[in-house]
Amino acid sequence: MGKKTGDANKSCGRVDVQSVIPKRRQDLLKWNGWGYNDSKFVIKDGIVHFTGNRYPIGELALPYFTQWAKDVLGLDLQSVRDSKPPPTSSSYPPPNVSDQVLNGIANLEVSYSVDVVDRVVRAHGHTLHDIHTLREGTFERIPDVVVWPQSHDDVAKIVRFADDNNLVVIPFGGGTAVSGAVECPRNEPRTIISLDTSQMNSILWVDGENLVACCESGIIGQDLERELGKLGYMTGHEPDSFEFSSLGGWVATRASGMKKNVYGNIEDLLVHVKMVTTKGVLEKSCQVPRMSCGPDFNHVILGSEGSLGVVTEVVLKIRPLPQCKKYGSVVFPDFESGVKCMREIARERCQPASVRLMDNEQFKFGQSLKAVPGMLGFLVDEFKKLLLTKLKRFDLNKMCVMTLLFEGGKKEVEDHEKRIYAIAKKYGGIPAGETNGLRGYMLTFVIAYIRDLAADFSVVAESFETSVPWDRALALCRKVKHRIAIECNRRNIKHHFVCCRVTQTYDAGCVIYFYFAYNYVNHSDPVQVYEEIEDVARDEILAVGGSISHHHGVGKLRKKWYPATVSQVGVGLFRNIKKELDPNNVFATGNLVEAKL
Amino acid sequence: MIRSALAFRDILEDRRNECSNFLWVSRVLSPYAPCKEYSKIGPKQHKMLVLKSRKIQDLIDEISFKSELPPKDVERRVKIILDEIGFNKHTSTIRWLGLFLTKVCCRVCRGIYFNTDGIDQLRRHMDGGIPVIYVPSHRSYADFILMSYLLFTLNIEIPAIAAGMDFHGMKGMGTVLRNTGAFFMRRSYNDDNLYWDTFRQYVHQLVTKNSAGIEFFIEGTRSRSCKSLPPKFGLLTMILRAFLTGEVPDILFVPINISYDRVMEERLFAYELLGVPKPKESTSGFFKSLSMVNEKYGSIYIDVGSPISVKDFFGSRLDKTKNHLIPQHLQILGPYEKKEISSFAEHIVNAQQHLTVLSAFNLIATVLNNNLLMRKNILRLDELVTDVMWIRNILDKFGALSNLKYPRENIMDALDVHKNLVQMDDESNITLVQDSVILADGTKFKAHALSDATMTLAVPFVMLQIYVNPVLYYTINQSILVTIIKNYETHLVSKDRLYDDYVFLRSLMSNEFVLFEYNNKKDFWKSLESCVDLEAISKLDETTYGIGKNEKIQDLFANLLMPFIQTYYLVCIVINNVNIDSCPEKRILRDSQERIERIANSKPNQFVHPYTLNLDSIGHCLSILVKMNILYRERVKGEMMYNTKPNVMLVNMIRNMEKYVPLKEDLQLTSFKNKL
Repeated sequence: MGKKTGDANKSCGRVDVQSVIPKRRQDLLKWNGWGYNDSKFVIKDGIVHFTGNRYPIGELALPYFTQWAKDVLGLDLQSVRDSKPPPTSSSYPPPNVSDQVLNGIANLEVSYSVDVVDRVVRAHGHTLHDIHTLREGTFERIPDVVVWPQSHDDVAKIVRFADDNNLVVIPFGGGTAVSGAVECPRNEPRTIISLDTSQMNSILWVDGENLVACCESGIIGQDLERELGKLGYMTGHEPDSFEFSSLGGWVATRASGMKKNVYGNIEDLLVHVKMVTTKGVLEKSCQVPRMSCGPDFNHVILGSEGSLGVVTEVVLKIRPLPQCKKYGSVVFPDFESGVKCMREIARERCQPASVRLMDNEQFKFGQSLKAVPGMLGFLVDEFKKLLLTKLKRFDLNKMCVMTLLFEGGKKEVEDHEKRIYAIAKKYGGIPAGETNGLRGYMLTFVIAYIRDLAADFSVVAESFETSVPWDRALALCRKVKHRIAIECNRRNIKHHFVCCRVTQTYDAGCVIYFYFAYNYVNHSDPVQVYEEIEDVARDEILAVGGSISHHHGVGKLRKKWYPATVSQVGVGLFRNIKKELDPNNVFATGNLVEAKL
Repeated sequence: MIRSALAFRDILEDRRNECSNFLWVSRVLSPYAPCKEYSKIGPKQHKMLVLKSRKIQDLIDEISFKSELPPKDVERRVKIILDEIGFNKHTSTIRWLGLFLTKVCCRVCRGIYFNTDGIDQLRRHMDGGIPVIYVPSHRSYADFILMSYLLFTLNIEIPAIAAGMDFHGMKGMGTVLRNTGAFFMRRSYNDDNLYWDTFRQYVHQLVTKNSAGIEFFIEGTRSRSCKSLPPKFGLLTMILRAFLTGEVPDILFVPINISYDRVMEERLFAYELLGVPKPKESTSGFFKSLSMVNEKYGSIYIDVGSPISVKDFFGSRLDKTKNHLIPQHLQILGPYEKKEISSFAEHIVNAQQHLTVLSAFNLIATVLNNNLLMRKNILRLDELVTDVMWIRNILDKFGALSNLKYPRENIMDALDVHKNLVQMDDESNITLVQDSVILADGTKFKAHALSDATMTLAVPFVMLQIYVNPVLYYTINQSILVTIIKNYETHLVSKDRLYDDYVFLRSLMSNEFVLFEYNNKKDFWKSLESCVDLEAISKLDETTYGIGKNEKIQDLFANLLMPFIQTYYLVCIVINNVNIDSCPEKRILRDSQERIERIANSKPNQFVHPYTLNLDSIGHCLSILVKMNILYRERVKGEMMYNTKPNVMLVNMIRNMEKYVPLKEDLQLTSFKNKL
């Protein structure tokens, strides 16, 4: 690392964080879609615009994107499909909670609510099913009470109370799960408490000597990085949902960040963790970099998906802020060359903070989000220049782009860039400038908003991801796309869109992220059909040798592949851990395996 | 797909009408590649990628380590192998060949027809990003030239075509073939690992990288008898590997049947079937065959079937997850996969069989053959036309597609095309042409040296049978049923007994006619029903069947099968008599032919169909006996050796067959009895 910003070894005590997101989430965030209320795609005069100025494409007309959506997804801008209005107390049955229990909760001296909107916004994550239900239907089961503990001790009190009174607790962090993990089990007859960690979001201390920080689990990504940044540090953990997702959620799902190449995934960042269970607190006695002490119980907590307890406090590694941050991009004649280049970069272990490869479909989609019209249609300026000079032999319908993010000292970044571009050259890659790289990453945050626009026009869309050994990566992409095309054809779906990108690289394999959308005009049950198709796509993934998930987790959505993935012995082991830590099934999330207790 | 003769279009029509064929062959070519998703890779780069593949590089390291040769040397050997294998693509050669073929075909052929709906369907599948494999039937050398010519005409890129090394040896011709997309595969059983690994990788690469696809003959060689041959699995397995190991989402196999009015090699085939070995392919031989430009060959039908998706075929039967803990390039196929591959191969051959187009001459040959077996040597044209239409109606019922729009005209045409084999005198009597055969001294026979007299008699009959054989695909089950019922003295049989006998004969003939066990039941019911419809068999009650009223049709069906059963029976007798531990295949072939020739000469009153002499059927008989575990064989120094020691199962087999053959022989069971 180069020269640090701020004072070296700076430490401090408790920082109470003023979160961007208020306690009443719905005041800032959409109740029925992704992200901020003020940021969304809208149609003005037949052209798609993006509102607000939180993102670089804010307040701009997007004519090419409009055309793209019409061409690829058959969007008919005339037929809008409106969402239902926000739920009122008549939309759902009254909370299933006795006065005695409510009194008990009041006596715990934690804030709580039985308001219907409070309950509905914590009844779901962000799966297609969740959003579609919000817009067009009602949930079969929502939490009965929402509680807002303010500390580890509050959580311990609540869990004890729940265990004593035969209640259910479902931990809720940022609400961005895409596995169905926070959904209430449909047939749960007991009172369900949604334990919202958002009010326990302090940084308890920062230790500049050991480069660790202890944080409460409710802190969300952007708050954490902003506050640490003020002290000259960062964690470097940036999952795509990082604006909204919480530290506790990252731990519970085994999250992965965009910049894991430099900073590591959540399991690499985590130094110490506390989890409140019905049997007490599971934690280690010391805060050491590594320890040989039997199986590592941190790995029982990581990925437990709310089924074993509540993560309350986490000690994370931190790094001084980098001196220099630079984007970059490389275009390849085709996806295969791109993948080969990624593999080579991973082999050489010289990945920059982030390196991603978009396939041709996603590349074209990304280009369509350009605002100002120009000579060569939808291509952004830098590409135009390239196209006219170096890329004459590139096929616009085959080429793809690799986006790069370098972080570190200035010289370091320069050398790193050279090295990467030299490898890329071997595979026919040509550097295509910073702007394109930046656009690629911006797209990551914006793409999540597109689903809400799509939903307005009878298009359902969703992403899914997997990890796969290098030698099977290409086949996996091809097979999934092929299978989806066949399944759409079989169902007479006229417009569908599927694209993928390689988002992470490892020594032994990589991560592939798919987006799939289709237009369901003239089709009933769009979500069910979507899920059927995603199911066969997942079967296909497993058949090629890909995994059940790299970082989204299993939740309820991918439960059926869990036994085959971990073996029956594995299932038995997990069950018994659960039986030991939660014999009364307080954390009855139904994630990973059906709890038969 | 419903088959109809109307869906066929002549590709020569435009050639005959255009003012310059030269302009046509030199048109701008932008052929359509079936698998667009693949980047275009040139033939040279293909070889390079094989050489640089992980698999071959590992192999080079391994060999150089073991043999202590420098890796460079081993790599050079691989390069030489690749140069021997690799296809090339010379557009100019393709154009010149195109022009040459246009000139020749317009002259000797009435038309080259292809089914437009098949091609349309193929084109619809082409955008799927899936490799396409063309699998034509193999009846003539002309097959792959015609396939390429068809694709050239339709603006579809010519695939890499698997060809035997015998072509490679042809001076000049080898290069021409290579330049038009042929890649070469060694035939002989050698255990040169370096060669086979390189070849396997080359094919693998073609499947996973070549946008134009592959064409190969699943039967492995030209079928001399014009019947389908049992499929070969080697190349197919190499192709399927890419799917089975999960590298490609699917592979589409396009079954194709090429049916000829007259096969260019008919006479050669007849000789070969009788044991006069085929001449080695040579370029001069090729030019000699150019004398054919003065002959007529009628029409050729290329029936392109619906593409078969391997993925759909295998469905969920293959559990690929068990392979996940092994790197992709090291995966091996297990016995279960191998079994699935063989049923897939059968499925393809079955599809090819369904795509047969019968010509007028196939029907004429059937009538003539039947007539001769009924001991009538002369047939009048009117009778012929009537009988051809009669047979045609029967075959139509069995689902055959026959090209006989204008019966009399088509028949006259066919007689003209085949005037070397069938002649009509001024009184419209139709007879076989019996040119006397005088073989040069020292002619080497593959098996028994048949006399000139036998050859003279046999050649036209064998040639005729070549044209009867395609019809047998449609009637084999009915022939079996009628043969069985006719041989019950009471002419009555229970359904279960009939089925058992049917399964016995059908299994026996399963190699000969490429019949698949999984179709046993289905075919039984279907053909029994059709026999009842045609009154060849009568249904007495739910469980009893008897002989039907229509004797003519019974004779026809029984006669069709007769030569084959006769051969099988005699081969079994011969094997039974040889009685040694290790008998070379050649001896069985020789003894069998010799015995048949002797019987034919010694029983002037009885007509022995000369086709019983054919080595193809004798070979099939040996293979099926081995498959049924009745006979044991092994390869010793390149030759098949059989254990022909006394064998109860063989004797039972002979006893079972006995009732179906006219020429019964004494079983010499003495030695056998002693052993018992």
